[in-house]
Amino acid sequence: MKSKKAKKLLSLTLATTMVLSMTGCGNSGSSNDSSGSSTASEVPTIDQIKLGEDYQDLKADIKILTDRTDIVDTTYKGYAESFMKEYPNIKVTYEAITDYAESVTLRLTNGDWGDICFIPDTVEKSEFSNYFIPFGDYSTLNGIYNFVTSKTYDNKVYGIPNGGTAGGIAYNKKVWKKAGIKDMPKTPDEFIEDLKLIDEKTDAIPLYTNFAAGWTMGAWNDYVGVASNADPDYKNNKLLHQKDPFTKNDENSGPYAVFYTLYEAVKQKLVEEDPASSDWESSKAKINNGEIATMVLGSWCVNQFKDAGDHPDDIGYMPFPITVKGTQAAASGGQYAFAINNKASTDNQIAAMVYVKWLLEESPIYDDEGSIPALKGKELPDSLSEFKDTELLEDNAPAQGEESLYDDIRNTAEVLSGDYPVGEVLEAALYGNKSLDDLMAEWNKKWTSAQESNGAEITG
Amino acid sequence: MGGSVNNAGQKTFFEKLQTRKAQRYIIIVTFMFVPLLLLLVFTYIPFIKMVQFSFYDMKYIGAKTFVGIRNYIDVFKRPDMFGSLFVSVYYMGGAVLQLALALFFATMMVFKVKGESIFKAAMFFPYLICGIAVGFIFKFFYARGYVLDTILQLFGISAENCPLWLQDQKINNFSLAATSVWRYTGQNMVLFLGAMMSVDTDLYEAASLDGANKWHQFRYIIMPSIKSIIVLNLVLSISGSLSAFEPPYVITNGQMGTGTYFVIMNRIAHENQRVGLACAMAVVLLVIIIICTVAQQLFFKYVFNDGSEDESKAAVQAKKKAAKAAKKGGA
Repeated sequence: MKSKKAKKLLSLTLATTMVLSMTGCGNSGSSNDSSGSSTASEVPTIDQIKLGEDYQDLKADIKILTDRTDIVDTTYKGYAESFMKEYPNIKVTYEAITDYAESVTLRLTNGDWGDICFIPDTVEKSEFSNYFIPFGDYSTLNGIYNFVTSKTYDNKVYGIPNGGTAGGIAYNKKVWKKAGIKDMPKTPDEFIEDLKLIDEKTDAIPLYTNFAAGWTMGAWNDYVGVASNADPDYKNNKLLHQKDPFTKNDENSGPYAVFYTLYEAVKQKLVEEDPASSDWESSKAKINNGEIATMVLGSWCVNQFKDAGDHPDDIGYMPFPITVKGTQAAASGGQYAFAINNKASTDNQIAAMVYVKWLLEESPIYDDEGSIPALKGKELPDSLSEFKDTELLEDNAPAQGEESLYDDIRNTAEVLSGDYPVGEVLEAALYGNKSLDDLMAEWNKKWTSAQESNGAEITG
Repeated sequence: MGGSVNNAGQKTFFEKLQTRKAQRYIIIVTFMFVPLLLLLVFTYIPFIKMVQFSFYDMKYIGAKTFVGIRNYIDVFKRPDMFGSLFVSVYYMGGAVLQLALALFFATMMVFKVKGESIFKAAMFFPYLICGIAVGFIFKFFYARGYVLDTILQLFGISAENCPLWLQDQKINNFSLAATSVWRYTGQNMVLFLGAMMSVDTDLYEAASLDGANKWHQFRYIIMPSIKSIIVLNLVLSISGSLSAFEPPYVITNGQMGTGTYFVIMNRIAHENQRVGLACAMAVVLLVIIIICTVAQQLFFKYVFNDGSEDESKAAVQAKKKAAKAAKKGGA
């Protein structure tokens, strides 16, 4: 009996210590929080820092987490070294992480991960202030940097992207030149004509759909919005309330034109012979050596195509061929955004801020990655030189209360979501069993009923 | 336990616990508790939840709205959903072919063959590869200009005449069903072989003395002895072909008319986040599988023998009648 009592006592104490230790955790967490925010007030905003003048005598060791395991010891190390020449007292080290998003999400919660990281997509906007310090006010920074909108919460900017991507079409310059094409296409019909020329005059596959991989077809959905309508409000605001958005219009723009381009290319046999057995990995090498002329994917693919073979200079990138009332536009968006740990010491936070500013404004990062500069007013990188006359627009945020409406409608309608609906377009053209107008009429019907069931007002 | 014997005539609670009967119940309950708990937590509660979800319009997160049976109406009305069940017919055809092949090979192995274990291992091997890997193997096997086309060219068929195995809607479902035949034939064969091993080999000898050839031996000795395992394999194959998923998902992504019910369900649930509709699809499929299984059982019971017994249904009924009559007579 005695031993039983003793056991009970023991388990009780164990339980209490566990509970206590848990509350202890909570306490220490919250105290950390408050200390973090109190130091944050001493850190300057990024626009107040003058590079090369301020904080020359600041001593700090800062660590940066990155997902680029491939270039961390070459390109990124080079950035750190040239920065340390200007700021000899600040020591910069990089840590590359495979499986970045998942492991960083876990590491963020304990606060002791380093000083600068890319914000993983898993972190919600409302949680930014728990992990990061603000770079400054949105109203100020939006005038200096591109793509800060998506990482802003409550008028504070918590992340600045290391550049942006643009939506267009990747192509092999040599093949297009060989086909005798001088001016890049500006409308879907011109594009189809050019593909025909390539088909006649070269051995290359004019347009490779990568149908079998699936997600590559989903890429077509990205052109509905800025590229199809040259309007940053279209995707998140107007499309949700538009009646029959997939209807054909006279100048052949809008969502219809995007799918028209695919449908006609397939129908006129300007794509690979057997889309069902296309292969993504080998397609990268094929576009590099000129067996494939064109692929419709986001600009992130350009560097992959360049690395896939011996002809990196042949890879070009052009805007999607839709012209709306005389202007051609391309959607652009930020890549991973830099953010600074709010649990780091004040000195480290300031040093990190200086380094981020240096990366954004003085390093060759945009040319190296072929991305759109995050700093406004900088030249586009060479790989995007054909976007000079194109308006680069970022989708505007949806109206308040409609944040999830776009996803809701497209999921209910099962249109513009994922790769299957785009596959439907290809199949209709391939088997010739449905005209594009019929298919788009079906989509209009689905869209309307989804608008109704999600309570979106149809304004016209 | 000094104070336990208060009343000499009555047993205390603890003494009751120590009786043989009580011990037996305790053991039964404690041993059953864990598996039953697991079954309840991971099968029945999720199932009940799924049935509940099927009446809602909902996503994985966020609010849900009750819509009654609208999801079920959708399942039956949408051609891409209910129609996808017809794709399963190809897999059912494949299942029958696969059972016939497995029976054939198993019978071959039962009569002594040279290199038997090598054949057995080679036939069983595909089953050990995971379904996703099988998908990738066949993706390249069927791809234009790859393995199958090359083999056909060796036999003098020109490259242009090779069909597009995955694209041509007349044959792509046959191509996909063939992959599952390839994968499961060996497994079925091993199951049949196991059942055939239990047949007394003296019977073959006696039969051949009576002039029975191999076909007769198969028809009148092997078949009746392994009836129940054949029925079991058939039931499993048919319900398996109704829920075929891996070949179309991996090889064609369920496009070009190869989307089976499962592939469509997966897409509705995960790509489009329409959890309620997908749950309704799952419930409908469950009902269909139950109907199919019961129908099969009834079919075997009445058309052939009942499968689990050595005598035919008619014989069993006659016996029962006779027994009844005897009982009446006795009373």
